[in-house]
Amino acid sequence: MKSILNHITPLLLVVVAMVMPQKSSGADATTTAEALWAEGIEAYESKDYTSAVEAFSQIVNLGEANEDVYYNLANAYFKLGQHATTTRPFGSGELGRAILNYHRALRLNPAMADARYNLELAVDHTNDTESVPKSFIAVLWHSLRDSATSNGWTIASLVMLGAMLILVMFYLLSTHIVLRKVCFFVSFALLVSVITTLSLAISSRNAVLNDNRAVVLCNDTTPVHASPDSASKIIRQPSQGVTIFVERTHGDWAEIRFADGEKGWIPNSRIELI
Amino acid sequence: MKSILRLTLLCIALLSSVASWAQVSFTVNAPALTATGQPFRVEFSVDAEPEQNSFKAPSFEGFDVLAGPSVSTGHSIQFINGRQSASYSCTYTYVLLPNSAGKFTIEPATITVEGKNYSTKRQLVEVIAEKEEATTTNRSRKNPESQISKDDILLRLKVSETSLYKGESLRASLVLYTRANIDNVEDVTIPPFDGFWSQELTFENTPSREEYNGRIYETYKITELLLSPQQSGKIVIPEASLSVRAQVIVNDNGRHDPFFGRRQIYHVTRNLKSEPITINVKEFPAGAPANFNGAVGNYTISYKLPESEIVSNSADQFEITISGSGNLKFLTAPKLSLPESFELYDTKVVDNIKVSDTGTSGSITYTYPFVARSVGDFSIGAVEFCYFNPETQQYKSLSTEPFTITVLDDGTSSNAPIVGNYTNYGGTMRQLDRDIRFIHTAGLSATTGETFVLTPIFWLVVVAMLSIFAATYVTLSKRIRDNRNVVARRMKHADKMAVKRLRMAERSMKEGNRHAFFEEMLRAMWGYISDKFNIPVSNLTKETIREELYRRNVSSALAEQFCEIISRSEEAQYAPSAEGEMSDVYTLAIEVISRIEESIKR
Repeated sequence: MKSILNHITPLLLVVVAMVMPQKSSGADATTTAEALWAEGIEAYESKDYTSAVEAFSQIVNLGEANEDVYYNLANAYFKLGQHATTTRPFGSGELGRAILNYHRALRLNPAMADARYNLELAVDHTNDTESVPKSFIAVLWHSLRDSATSNGWTIASLVMLGAMLILVMFYLLSTHIVLRKVCFFVSFALLVSVITTLSLAISSRNAVLNDNRAVVLCNDTTPVHASPDSASKIIRQPSQGVTIFVERTHGDWAEIRFADGEKGWIPNSRIELI
Repeated sequence: MKSILRLTLLCIALLSSVASWAQVSFTVNAPALTATGQPFRVEFSVDAEPEQNSFKAPSFEGFDVLAGPSVSTGHSIQFINGRQSASYSCTYTYVLLPNSAGKFTIEPATITVEGKNYSTKRQLVEVIAEKEEATTTNRSRKNPESQISKDDILLRLKVSETSLYKGESLRASLVLYTRANIDNVEDVTIPPFDGFWSQELTFENTPSREEYNGRIYETYKITELLLSPQQSGKIVIPEASLSVRAQVIVNDNGRHDPFFGRRQIYHVTRNLKSEPITINVKEFPAGAPANFNGAVGNYTISYKLPESEIVSNSADQFEITISGSGNLKFLTAPKLSLPESFELYDTKVVDNIKVSDTGTSGSITYTYPFVARSVGDFSIGAVEFCYFNPETQQYKSLSTEPFTITVLDDGTSSNAPIVGNYTNYGGTMRQLDRDIRFIHTAGLSATTGETFVLTPIFWLVVVAMLSIFAATYVTLSKRIRDNRNVVARRMKHADKMAVKRLRMAERSMKEGNRHAFFEEMLRAMWGYISDKFNIPVSNLTKETIREELYRRNVSSALAEQFCEIISRSEEAQYAPSAEGEMSDVYTLAIEVISRIEESIKR
């Protein structure tokens, strides 16, 4: 028994070391990012949203962004657009950028309630179409999936797997009939949970990996054509901030799909992937 | 005092009547528009008796005088309800023929009435060269229908503007143009002015002459409306239609009656339609303020603030009056925002709007009645009214002064708790507005966006867990199995061990070593039970032996015998006893063990 533990301990250490965040950019970028972070928060609090946007964008450019940075950047964009007194609200495409960054924050942490709330509020300003209503089970599954991160689900499933293995051990080795029965049923329940949480984790991971969503970025509305040709018929005019799915690209054009299933072509420059 | 007033009034009345009596009107009546080759009449009329030969006609430059002056005088005396009124009229008529096209002036004519000279106004006459109708000569004089060509009677819808902003107004008049004698007009269909708000205007129903397409027509206004577009874009006003009956006189050239000739009057009915008209309603320019509500025109505002100090639960009001010209009828009340503890009732609207042919003007008064429910000082923001001025093409904002109201306690108010901007009156708290949530200000913690599931490390962890499980299971189960094997073997070999020990005891007996014999006997007995029932020797007592044997269905007599052998051996180990005792105990032990073995196996 002791020999097995002796074997496993270094292995676990390796695993932990690999899971731990690797800071290749070094401490320098981190300190700059922290300075920018403080600067951005201060600018936001003093309602200088232009500077706040700049500071948070720089953190993103440094590659030091986490969900909070994206969230704050989105907030700064939203406020900047809302307080644009000289022109119409969101006259220079701030709403689209805000929605894009809320999506990015939620991609990193689907369980971020604040980002979800603000995103909902921002989407109210767009002319986004109603998505095709999903089935109750799909809605339940997605809301469950988005209540934690993929890694959260993974850790939960691994912990439950461990507990299940211990109970299986008891079931296999115990001679006590009641203990064996309890162990059997509990471990069976744990097996179901492990499969569920693992599926949630994989589903969440795939949602991030196969994310072909993009956000329309423009000043007001932009035409979506029936084919990749600006002379073709204009089928829709989504406003900035409308979230669409990119199906494929062709030259400077991207084929996009709206939430309600309608497809069209839009210049690549008018959209940005989440 | 009263008599003086009466006297003054009488004087005024007398003076005015004298003045009206003395007023002599001398007017000229000539068409403002005529065509070359068409003779026309010019009439100078005076409504008093002129002095003899005092009338001096002007020189009709640019015209040939065909006839005139012919003088006609009239005198009438009327008695109406016992009152006498006399009127006199004298008219000098000339018939003129224009020489050429152009603008000409008929200079004033003068006349003397009772020693005073009067002169007419200058009269402008425009003479145009009318287009010749090609069809005129081809017309059959016989057919009355063909006497009136398509161009002779026209229906036109005239609009004062064709391009304007939403909310501005334009004048549209339906005019009948005719060169024939119109008897009757019927079936007038006014087009539906979809997209417009329309209001009929009062107009003078006098015919006039107008040039259109190079020809002169008599014009009659059928209707006149004020239109205000309610939507932007191009709006088409569809055609209007009516049917007219025209009189046509046909000269028969005396074919029927060679002496007098014969003039026959025919009636010709025509259905007319006006052209549809497109009105371009312009969009408002960009940069409209947020509170712009579609007000167009030129306005000013005045307002009446409520009392600066009121008692709670009492009503007061705020009044704002918007006056000016523009789309007053479509104004919406400016928004007055009061603190939550104020109950704002429906806004009262009182308007005083006049519609004229240039648009609507007047004023609208909005009254905002409210009741203050909570005690305290409240500041109330400015009420803003924003409009678009189409002349300057700019948005203008007017606003009232912000003001404060002190609400005093009336002694009965329960003073509902006020929490911030929210007032709770026992119901649920209302959501007043929504905004995005505040940024996250906690430190910048580094998180990688990498997912862990299905990565090699993940699989490594899973495999590690499973191998730990497998290894643990294998180890533990082996140990348990081994454990079980030892017991089973021991149990299996329990009697063999006992036999082996008994043999050793037998050897001791033969050697005559009593102590060793009984020791070996005890070891054999205890060991047998210990191995058989897997109980450590240290835990064994006679009681447990009895119990264990009883549980295994060994008869209590046999168990008693077994225990007796142990007791005897223990006693005999240290006490001297008979020679034959050792062999007795020995045979008894063999017998008891074999019987126990038998009963357990069974």
